[in-house]
Amino acid sequence: MFQLSDEGKAFVKKQLARYEQKESAIIPSLYRVQDENGGWVSPEAIDHLSELMDIPASRIQEVMKFYTMFNQRPRGKYHVQVCTTLTCGMLGGRELCSFLMKEHGVKGPGEVSKDGKFSFSHVECLGSCDTAPVMQINREPYHESLTEEKALKILKELK
Amino acid sequence: MPKCTINGQEIEVKPGATIMDAFYQMDQKEKIAHYCYHPALSIAGVCRLCMVEIEGNPRLQIACNTVVTEGMKVNNDSEKVKEAVKWGMDFHLINHPLDCPICDQAGECGLQDQYMAYGKYDPEMAERKVKKRKVVDLGPRVVLDSERCILCSRCVRFTEEVTKTNELGIFNRGDRAEIGTFEDRPLDNNYSVNTVDICPVGALTSKDFRFRQRVWLLKDAETICAGCSTGCNVDVYFNKEGVFRLKPRPNEKVNGHWMCDVGRDTYKPLNRDARLLDARLSEGSKVEYMIPLMGARKAAEWVREAKADPKSVALVLTGQYSNEEYEAIVSTFKADVGSDRIFHWVNNPETFEKFDGLLFRGDRNPNTKGLLQAMQRHGSLNNTWNELVAALESGSVGTLVVAGPLDLSVFPDLGEKLASFAKAKRVVWLSSGRSDVVDACPSPLIQIPMRTHVEKTGTYVNHAGIAQTVHAALAIVPKALTLSEVADVIAGRDVKRGNAPAGVGRRAQNEFTAHRGAL
Repeated sequence: MFQLSDEGKAFVKKQLARYEQKESAIIPSLYRVQDENGGWVSPEAIDHLSELMDIPASRIQEVMKFYTMFNQRPRGKYHVQVCTTLTCGMLGGRELCSFLMKEHGVKGPGEVSKDGKFSFSHVECLGSCDTAPVMQINREPYHESLTEEKALKILKELK
Repeated sequence: MPKCTINGQEIEVKPGATIMDAFYQMDQKEKIAHYCYHPALSIAGVCRLCMVEIEGNPRLQIACNTVVTEGMKVNNDSEKVKEAVKWGMDFHLINHPLDCPICDQAGECGLQDQYMAYGKYDPEMAERKVKKRKVVDLGPRVVLDSERCILCSRCVRFTEEVTKTNELGIFNRGDRAEIGTFEDRPLDNNYSVNTVDICPVGALTSKDFRFRQRVWLLKDAETICAGCSTGCNVDVYFNKEGVFRLKPRPNEKVNGHWMCDVGRDTYKPLNRDARLLDARLSEGSKVEYMIPLMGARKAAEWVREAKADPKSVALVLTGQYSNEEYEAIVSTFKADVGSDRIFHWVNNPETFEKFDGLLFRGDRNPNTKGLLQAMQRHGSLNNTWNELVAALESGSVGTLVVAGPLDLSVFPDLGEKLASFAKAKRVVWLSSGRSDVVDACPSPLIQIPMRTHVEKTGTYVNHAGIAQTVHAALAIVPKALTLSEVADVIAGRDVKRGNAPAGVGRRAQNEFTAHRGAL
């Protein structure tokens, strides 16, 4: 059964006090839950949050399912998000993602590699079109101007 | 009080009223397409179909969320509006399966009705429809078909604002958005079927009613729900096979727009398979069936035989009958039989005073108040149940007349009370329901089938003292009697069988009432 850490709980309480409408605290709280829950938001976590925030679970899940930055399924230790919007798309973002997935034996976006280390997803514009194609790993800074070799090397270096 | 002109008709509305309110006030709600607006819910403004043209305003506005201002000139019959609604409709239909022939809502579907008026008939969408979940079990009473849903959010707002249980939500986004419950947890509050009523399309359907009848093969009539002392106003839907469902009818003073799920089930004891069809006389092992009127004559004989000592005749009343019947039976007992042994059977004393805060009350009788008023008028209010029990124990009750339940299921103490009644020498049991418990009563007993509240005209007083008169809608057991008729037989008066329904009810005359409109 998922429980937020004491600091996590304090964070949620602080968010609740911060906004006029408590529904506004859902997104920051969901981020916190996702970080503490290994990168995804489980139904149990929503139940826990619902109790903590006194907001119905259905309301929280509406928010969670609306935004793509909340993962609805378990992900790898490193969640690789490859931009596939216009510029990155034209410069091979989609192909890059397919290549990386193939290299790690992953069939499609959302699936986790066998060693539990990697999962991949297509994302919409990351706002770094001048250095396309771009990818982001977890919530770290971007890796820019990628080629297949360069991207593979970056992933290989991850422990 | 701002005045405005709507489709050339001048109307004065309350300050703050919207254009939609004005349409409702003029009783022209059918003239304006609307799916997300519901008078008892908050305004969402998501269906975008209630477009109106306001003079001086270059763009069309939605009527449900535009407040009327002084001198506003509004119309919704111009070509511009029609064109907008036509395209709005087409957007709603992009992912709608249009499976009307197998859809339970067909015949009372908002989308279908509006399509007849505004449909493009030639959709220009070349893309495939998005597949969504079908036949989702949403709990004990409701089934969801996500593809049919047009995301009006009425049901979501209902669980948020009315029941405050918040089960439903809209998940995902864009063309994948669909309604559902969190982790498919059941929608099991006592008001869940109201979401089926307010669903303008066939996305939410009632498990109890779906696939049992096409709505255009049903007639409907106005009545009340006899399931508890709230007395919700309902429409009863029936045909010659019996009653199929109850739906709430708006009445701000009584039930608003809703009714509870328990109340919806109260149509079941009205149908023939649950009913007592003939009078049944049982003496020891001998069982005899006769027509109800003969049964009543037999009962009258028993009462007369015991009349030598008026004290030995007792009457037990339940809160299930109408004011007129109480008056007839109580006055007959007082004047013609000469007995003042009249008692009130409280069927569920522990939960009698309970109330769920919305509609459902612990007093599961439609007319307890009317009964108490009748007993007070005749000075019998002070008789306590213990007096009856003592009299039964001592064997001083010769004939006991019990005006028993019309709905047996709300009398959990039936067996216990019958064991006590069986101590009387003879029991006259008046009820509409058939029950093995009653059949097994050891003392001489005659059961006489009674009419239910949908089969007779009568007045019922609800918990708040509001008297509501309902008219006979249909005859399910035509030979059954009313309490007034039984009183006439006991008193030796002529029985006037004038209570048969004359095909009343709003649309009862039409065999086929297609195009009913659920908005």
